[in-house]
Amino acid sequence: MNEHDEILTLSAIAKNFGDKVALKHVDLSVRRGAVHVICGENGAGKSTLMNILAGIHQPSAGTIQLNGRAVTIPDPITASRLGIGMVHQHFTLVPSMTVAENIYLGRHIRKYGLFSDRKAMTGRAAELIERFNFRLDAEAPVRSLSVGQRQRVEILKALAFDAELLILDEPTAVLTPPEVDELIGIIDGLRSRGRTILFITHKLREVKAVSDVVTVIRRGESISTYPTATVSETDIARDMVGRNVFLVGRGDSAEPRRFGAPVLSLDGVSVTNSTGRLLLDAVSLDIRAGEIVGIAGVDGNGQTELAEAIVGLIETQAGTITLNGRDITTASVPERLQAGMGFVPEDRLDRGLSITMSVAENLAATNYSRAGLTRSGLVDVARRDEFASEKIAEFDVRGAVPATPAGQLSGGNMQKLVIARELNRDPDLLVICQPTRGLDIGAAEFIYSRMMAAADRGRAVLLISSELSEIFALSDRIGVMYSGQLLKVLDRKHADEVGVGQLMNGGVTAEAA
Amino acid sequence: MATTALLAAILEQTAPILLAALAAMITLRANILNVAVEGMMLVGAFVAIAVGAATGSAPLALLAALVASVLMSQLLALMTLGFSADFIVAGLGINLLAAGGSLFALEWFYQSPGGLRPLAFPDIWHVPAGSLGFLPVIGPALEGQSIIVLAAFLAVPLLAVFLYRTPLGAYLRAAGEDEHAARSAGIDVARMKALSLAISGLLAGLAGAQLSMDKLHFFLPDMTSGRGFIGLAATLFGGGQPWITAAASLLFGFFGALGDRLQAFSIPSQFVLMLPYLAAIIGLAVARWRAHVRSRPAKLNARRG
Amino acid sequence: MAGVLIGTLKAIRAPLAAILLTLALGFVLVAFITDDPVQAYRDLLFANFDSVGNFALFLNRATPLLLIALGVIFSFRAGIFNVGGEGQLYAGAIATTVIGVMLGGLSPLILFPLAVAGGILAGAFLGWIPATLKIRLGVDEVVTTLMLNIIVLLFTSYLSNQVIRDTASYGAVSQMLPASIWLPDLPGVRGATSGIIVALVLAGVTWLVLFRTEWGAQLRASGTNLRFAKSVGIPADRRIITAMLVAGGFGGLAGALYVLGIGHRFEQNFSPDYGLVGLTCALLARVHPIGAVATSIFYAMMINGAAYMQISTDVPRSLVDLLTGLLVLLMTARPKLKWGRS
Repeated sequence: MNEHDEILTLSAIAKNFGDKVALKHVDLSVRRGAVHVICGENGAGKSTLMNILAGIHQPSAGTIQLNGRAVTIPDPITASRLGIGMVHQHFTLVPSMTVAENIYLGRHIRKYGLFSDRKAMTGRAAELIERFNFRLDAEAPVRSLSVGQRQRVEILKALAFDAELLILDEPTAVLTPPEVDELIGIIDGLRSRGRTILFITHKLREVKAVSDVVTVIRRGESISTYPTATVSETDIARDMVGRNVFLVGRGDSAEPRRFGAPVLSLDGVSVTNSTGRLLLDAVSLDIRAGEIVGIAGVDGNGQTELAEAIVGLIETQAGTITLNGRDITTASVPERLQAGMGFVPEDRLDRGLSITMSVAENLAATNYSRAGLTRSGLVDVARRDEFASEKIAEFDVRGAVPATPAGQLSGGNMQKLVIARELNRDPDLLVICQPTRGLDIGAAEFIYSRMMAAADRGRAVLLISSELSEIFALSDRIGVMYSGQLLKVLDRKHADEVGVGQLMNGGVTAEAA
Repeated sequence: MATTALLAAILEQTAPILLAALAAMITLRANILNVAVEGMMLVGAFVAIAVGAATGSAPLALLAALVASVLMSQLLALMTLGFSADFIVAGLGINLLAAGGSLFALEWFYQSPGGLRPLAFPDIWHVPAGSLGFLPVIGPALEGQSIIVLAAFLAVPLLAVFLYRTPLGAYLRAAGEDEHAARSAGIDVARMKALSLAISGLLAGLAGAQLSMDKLHFFLPDMTSGRGFIGLAATLFGGGQPWITAAASLLFGFFGALGDRLQAFSIPSQFVLMLPYLAAIIGLAVARWRAHVRSRPAKLNARRG
Repeated sequence: MAGVLIGTLKAIRAPLAAILLTLALGFVLVAFITDDPVQAYRDLLFANFDSVGNFALFLNRATPLLLIALGVIFSFRAGIFNVGGEGQLYAGAIATTVIGVMLGGLSPLILFPLAVAGGILAGAFLGWIPATLKIRLGVDEVVTTLMLNIIVLLFTSYLSNQVIRDTASYGAVSQMLPASIWLPDLPGVRGATSGIIVALVLAGVTWLVLFRTEWGAQLRASGTNLRFAKSVGIPADRRIITAMLVAGGFGGLAGALYVLGIGHRFEQNFSPDYGLVGLTCALLARVHPIGAVATSIFYAMMINGAAYMQISTDVPRSLVDLLTGLLVLLMTARPKLKWGRS
């Protein structure tokens, strides 16, 4: 490979946030005019890497070379001046403004020095749309556009200022399958016009469909780089997940496990949004006592809605939900929790905890009556703090005393807090979402052992995770969600990661189970 | 003749409300609920009389009023944007500071806690009588109005042009609508908010000066009597759109002008004066209700059961 | 013990700094006006204790302030930015007055509880409107409480001017309440309302309810993180609406007790902006009921002491209004510090 063929070269990039290592060591060289995919699991460090290129974060170590010259990228403006255009996962568009106004936001074309030249902006935007064949109305307000169209506006924003290198961060996460195909077409078009594209994803199907080169990142390190044509999805999946990452697992017992009666039954449960799109599409599922059912899927395919519908946080529009034989379809959240449910939400800061309240109050939240924390109507503070101390010790919550505000703990310890709280009632059904997101291996293993212990006690566990390795390590059966549907529920013994990975992308299993 | 008199009364009642409404509107577009309009108006009203009495010059009085209210707005900007004080609390602080400060000045400097009534006060420019006779109905109603009344009505198209036809206006709206998007487009969001507060101060200062300088030529501690909040109500009712805000202000000005006349029909003026505030609450509730209905999950088609 | 002290000091550092900074600025201003600024400040803060009469007036200031502050604490703890204290106060005062004047013939044994309940209910109703609009539709509660304040003031102005006006008096004042339902004076302090006892007891009750009951924990959880509260099965919407009912009720009670214990009639201008000052006291106390006792007392000292300061020195009493403005402006500000974290 020739030196000036490379538009971008990263050497030994590392990034720490405090004492948390986001990137350990990343080497990357991107050829001009190529579509280069950066592939890795959630939390592997892809987004951190892209934010470094976009000037949002500064690397802690390593060098960036652009067109053969070492550069520093202190802020987003500099990035755009250097020809790096970033298309974020979360759009940066003003809804009430038109496509043209959004493209020129912050750099309006003027007339008479003082006024915006709307005609010129609309004209140039239309030209740009025409040139890249984006099929957009330059005068339409962004508010009226679909998600896919908005994404094209984001891409145009970058192109309008002569971005040579375009970074797309998980661009398909928000798109419907037809919109994904359209995006792939657009990327092809950009490549043929000489642009270089850095495409971040964790979806294997897209890697094959779109790219020339693929680099796999795992746990903050660049693992491997292949020409896409010569590599199989299986190889990429192996590099993404790695081997022996998780040391413990439920494994196969000598004799087949015996499960009890169904604890939770879903029958044709559907949830819609305001536009009538089905977020959950007639999902049916049984979870038996003593069983861990894992739900795999790429984020945003209905897993969050599934958990929230079971717990009662969102209304269902069709179907029935049964807990221990009792119809709870219209029961309130407190009634369901009372009836024997525990819930560990996917985002501990969003739904799991109140970060301004103390560790003791967070632990007590669902346990006042269960743990006998009140006496004649008043909270028995001594008893509550004692309860908290017990839980802190039992779950090894580090750096916490009962009075510590929960927000001062690290992510792993916050998660332990949530799980300690929910397991205290020994619920018949534990709904647990993304239990180890952002945690180190030690904390993750601890949480696994607790989940497995609950199942061994005869409780039903619904595990929702986008980490395939986690699903495989723990589940007795594995379901895959795609676009609101529960595609298939496989016995783990008959499932393999590649097949499930393909199901996650809406495909069919290569090796039929 | 009666129509002209009523129309003139409406325009006169509307002007301070309209200016206050526009003052609240411009900050609302930068995503600031400006509860400090009332206080900035009061400062404008007071400074206009104080400086007018001291210098004998109406233009100087007006200029000083505007400078003072803009300074107040920038004090609010400093505390909120610079020292991350809460906008509502600090805004209420501005109101208290304006009321307390003007009262303090009255008591201490003028030894006259009841108000400031200079013996002589310069006249502000008014539209000469008979000069607009060529305009039917509206012409005679405008005659005799102060230059600030004219400025108030002129401010509506000016602000509309500023918001929708200039880059700065677009950036200001972007900063208010989506800070993240604005920032990633290289717009200095804090500066846009400070700018919106400065314009707000300017408009509120005009409103205050109109109250004290136009006809009365004196200052009373409770002179603004909630007009800043009526303006806020008009803006909220108008959803921050200049023309709807202006229409709401005109309506509220009409109520105000009607208020005195209605007492003859034994409708207590208090109920008429309540209307703007009720309208604001109901307008907001209806707007939110419509958004609420739109975001409800859709019913499933019959094919699924 | 020392640890607790340091913890408390840390918690009140910011509001204490705002108070001290404001008082210092005020002192500079006072030194500008009078030759004896120390005397002026002594009177401002401590003349309240020079005579029983002064002390009684001071307590009468502290009572409504504390009650409103407690109401504000309930609403803020539930995550509702309630600036409607003034409206709730007036609603309570006018309801109590109307009941007391209109039903003056009833036995005091019936009339008194009726008048108090009427005041509380009127205030609670005024808290319910913004809470319901917020919970059901997401209407911003700052706007509704601000607008409701003015609506209530206009409504009371109508009632006190046109319906229950005492035509023999000057200004918008109602007829007197029957003396049989007046609240007795505080034993041993002539002229001081025993309402202060009610307010102090309620401060303790508020603390107990908020920090020592499961209901209070649920309310605070709803206020700090609504989505968390719902996820752990707290009926958060109900808690928030109830909190606003209580908050309004406290404001209403403040109005009722003012009328029954201090004014004995409704006067349109009876409140020197107690609503906003009560909010200030609550925020200065970092929304803590026991802290609010301290800040309300401090503020009552200043408001009442200003009159004595004006008499003994040339410093106008509106100095306090000016200082309040400064304090409110400064109160939520945070110094911008940059420390070395990446």
